[in-house]
Amino acid sequence: MNFDSIFDYTLIYATIRAATPILFAALAAAITEQGDITNIGTEGIMLTSAFAAVLVSYTTGSWILALIVSMIAGVLMALIMAVAHIKYKADITAIGIAINMLALAITKFGIKQFLGTTGSFTDPKIVGIPKINIPFLEGNKYLNGIFNNWSLMEIFGIVMVLLLTFLLYRTVWGLRLRSVGRFPMAAETAGINVNRMKYQVMIISGVLGGLAGAHLSIGYSQMFIENMTNGRGFMGVAAMFFGGANPALAWVGSLLFGFVDSIGGRLQAYGWPSQFVLMLPYIITISVLAFSMWRKKRREEKAKSSLTIATVKN
Amino acid sequence: MKKVVTLLLVMTLVIGTLAGCSSKPADKDSGGKDAGGKDKLKVALIYSGFLGDKSFNDSAHEGALRAVEEFGIELKEMESKEPAEWESNFVAMAADGYDLVIGVSTQFEEIVAKHAPEFPDTKFAIIDGVVKGENVASSTFAQNEGSFLAGAAAAMFTTKSDIEGVNPEKVIGWVGGLDIPVLADFFTGYKQGAAYIDPEVKVLQSFAGTFNDPLKGKELTIAQYSQGADIVMNVASGTGTGILEAAKESGKYAIGVDLDQDGVYPGSILTSMLKRVDNATYLAIESVVKDTYEGNKTVYLDISNGGVGLTDMSVMKEALGDKFPQDILDKIKELEEKVKSGEIKVEAYEGFGRK
Repeated sequence: MNFDSIFDYTLIYATIRAATPILFAALAAAITEQGDITNIGTEGIMLTSAFAAVLVSYTTGSWILALIVSMIAGVLMALIMAVAHIKYKADITAIGIAINMLALAITKFGIKQFLGTTGSFTDPKIVGIPKINIPFLEGNKYLNGIFNNWSLMEIFGIVMVLLLTFLLYRTVWGLRLRSVGRFPMAAETAGINVNRMKYQVMIISGVLGGLAGAHLSIGYSQMFIENMTNGRGFMGVAAMFFGGANPALAWVGSLLFGFVDSIGGRLQAYGWPSQFVLMLPYIITISVLAFSMWRKKRREEKAKSSLTIATVKN
Repeated sequence: MKKVVTLLLVMTLVIGTLAGCSSKPADKDSGGKDAGGKDKLKVALIYSGFLGDKSFNDSAHEGALRAVEEFGIELKEMESKEPAEWESNFVAMAADGYDLVIGVSTQFEEIVAKHAPEFPDTKFAIIDGVVKGENVASSTFAQNEGSFLAGAAAAMFTTKSDIEGVNPEKVIGWVGGLDIPVLADFFTGYKQGAAYIDPEVKVLQSFAGTFNDPLKGKELTIAQYSQGADIVMNVASGTGTGILEAAKESGKYAIGVDLDQDGVYPGSILTSMLKRVDNATYLAIESVVKDTYEGNKTVYLDISNGGVGLTDMSVMKEALGDKFPQDILDKIKELEEKVKSGEIKVEAYEGFGRK
């Protein structure tokens, strides 16, 4: 077996490429998780906005407009969830599943109604999100392969990680949000409008999910196909759990998924059984979740025992 | 108010589920009778995925539409998102009084075998698979023969380094959807075709594990390009659209499948291996219309009756102009004759080939 052509420099960018859609979904789930909402509707939000992005890009020829509309579409989907969950106390898992099904149905209807075709849509008129080309990197094969021609959204994904980390851990708003997530009743007593916080995070989640969808359909590729998210929204939720709703750690989780995915593609080409390789992402998901739950439990136990020590001392 | 919201939610769920199964009557006039006042023949096609793959499913759809036009049958098509829906879609159509129910994929073999005896008055057909039964007609393809030509074309193309994007390395690629026997038959032929031209040519093989994930197909294809391949054959239905896009974006090349995909990205797709799923579908419907339907019979579509083959590469010829390697086209013609005459025997995967 030829290890050079499996673990080579192109693997780095391939990992980023495969991780970015998952990253945006993970961020969309992380921000709501901090506000005590497990948003499994990310998959549906992504799918709807992926469709919106293709539709607008195709009809107007503007990727900026497409990006804006996809964010609006994402927010609308998120708001349906928010109203049902926050105002009418619907179970978030049930409403999340409903949103995912609704998205599948809406996009199926939309592709027939507005694009006049079924199943999939590709057209040269779809304008994609530009890639960033840095000419002076082209001289070096390695730098060129790793850093050149990133999609704008791949860079933006990393910016969003930094931005959300700052927002969550360095601002008053973030502190309040985290207190809502930890103990809503205490937050309420402290004078925080819990419901308003929850609406706010759902809107942000819609924006992020919208970006995730737009990246799929006009960034990563220039097409729309039914159910094109194919579980990437759920992978994002898993990555979020891996990171304990911390954006930076969720990014690590997404990179891990992206890495396994890209390495799998290369291993297969060298005769590894496809069934085994295709199983890898799921094995990784389960082990990653088991590990993060174990870590969380450990931390809670530690916190509990230090609490008892403190009370004993008093 | 709460009740209203609950109701709305339930409705969303129900609508979502229905749309997931997605029934799509292609027939526009709902009279149900033809000009003679006789009941129209009701035909149902059950797909293992979505339409719009520009490949296997769309090809069957074309054949069915041809039958609608010529015989005025009533057509219903069921797409599915997940394998779990196959059986329920299939049984629903059989129970709904359709005269002919067609499972459009080799993946329906077990389902047809299990349920056909339960509906003795209904006629069944399976495309790309064989099922025994008095009320089941089967059709299979010599995809190994078509792929043989595709493999030969790819092996010759990978050495044409004067064409932009082609490297001197003798590596070609192949990306499939699910790892199922039919696809193994494709690959067997592809590999043999490549080796026939040059035994040193290395063939990379990957499966996406799904027929509906173009992004996965794209990623696998880019991975194969980075491993030295410059042309990749797609055998992946909906996943394949991503494979073709990868070719266009990376400035490399791909080979289409099932339908003529040469024009999807002109200049990036050398040729397409045609698998006339449309003909198989049309023939199955025609046999019922003309009352020549026979159970337990298998139609075998191969290179000699035009069931499989390559496109004429005219799109690529136009895109490359003078650089178009005419020798590939000539060689393919020669190989085609040799396969037809039996001079070259194309190997088949276990359980396939002429019986």
